[in-house]
Amino acid sequence: MMSSSFWAMGGYARYVWPCYAFAGVVLAWNLWSARRFRVAAQLRARRAAQMSTAAVGEP
Amino acid sequence: MTVREIMWTWFYKLASPPYVYGVSAALAPWALGGAALAMGYGLIAGLAIAPPDYQQGEAVRMIYVHVPSAMLSLTVYTLMAAASAVALIWRIKVGHAVAAASAPIGASFTILALVTGSLWGRPMWGTYWAWDPRLTSELILLFLYVGVMSLRLAFEDPSRGDRAAALLAIVGVVNVPIVHFSVVWWNSLHQGATIVRLGAPKMPGSMLWPLLSMWLGFMLFFAAALCIRLQGEVLNRERQSTWVREAVKS
Repeated sequence: MMSSSFWAMGGYARYVWPCYAFAGVVLAWNLWSARRFRVAAQLRARRAAQMSTAAVGEP
Repeated sequence: MTVREIMWTWFYKLASPPYVYGVSAALAPWALGGAALAMGYGLIAGLAIAPPDYQQGEAVRMIYVHVPSAMLSLTVYTLMAAASAVALIWRIKVGHAVAAASAPIGASFTILALVTGSLWGRPMWGTYWAWDPRLTSELILLFLYVGVMSLRLAFEDPSRGDRAAALLAIVGVVNVPIVHFSVVWWNSLHQGATIVRLGAPKMPGSMLWPLLSMWLGFMLFFAAALCIRLQGEVLNRERQSTWVREAVKS
């Protein structure tokens, strides 16, 4: 398949490429949001651990 | 130790939050690597090597994204309902964590299936949307995902939210066979089952292998995203536990 005809997708480029672009966005969002969620949970857990250590240390 | 005893031991291990946290952390990179390989092959083969369809032409290439995302939307919902049932029946809290972690991923793949289906429908059916049984039941699936997520957050007591969301997830699973068989039970614009059907797939190997590879890639990607999200869910739910304190200190 020639490069120009590949990108043209037989006249369906305006449907095929947005389809793949949106799939890329969804996959990227899933990975980003999952990692962000885990980092936020780790921060909350760390803060809870620090607070409990501080509470034990108090007279 | 018999196979049955090994199975039960493994099942009970899955009820342990530290075990699930550790397994998720270990599995996530492997699943992500596998997903990249499978999707890489699927993309190259689907976009450049597979032949165009004799009726749909090059528009058929959209199925390499649409079909795996639609299949995943149903698989994830079934997993979410099964995890909810395990959580309610055996009172295994990790089940609620799995269900909560699955819901946003499943909802995003349902949106992807609906959008890519619309993009395929415009040149093939002449419209982006039709109130067709398959499309409508898939849209209901999205509403169910949104309902499960909203219900979980609607209660002040998280355990009540978990139980209410689990009940809705279990009741809503009735929609999964409706989505799958809608093309058989009613007159539908949507084509019938091509892969998941009795008998051999209706597709030639040159199109089937890229599609199966993309499906495997999407499944592995879901596994990776679930593992990462599940670690966060477990940490949120167990942050007062000693093992979490030790884990975050290290």
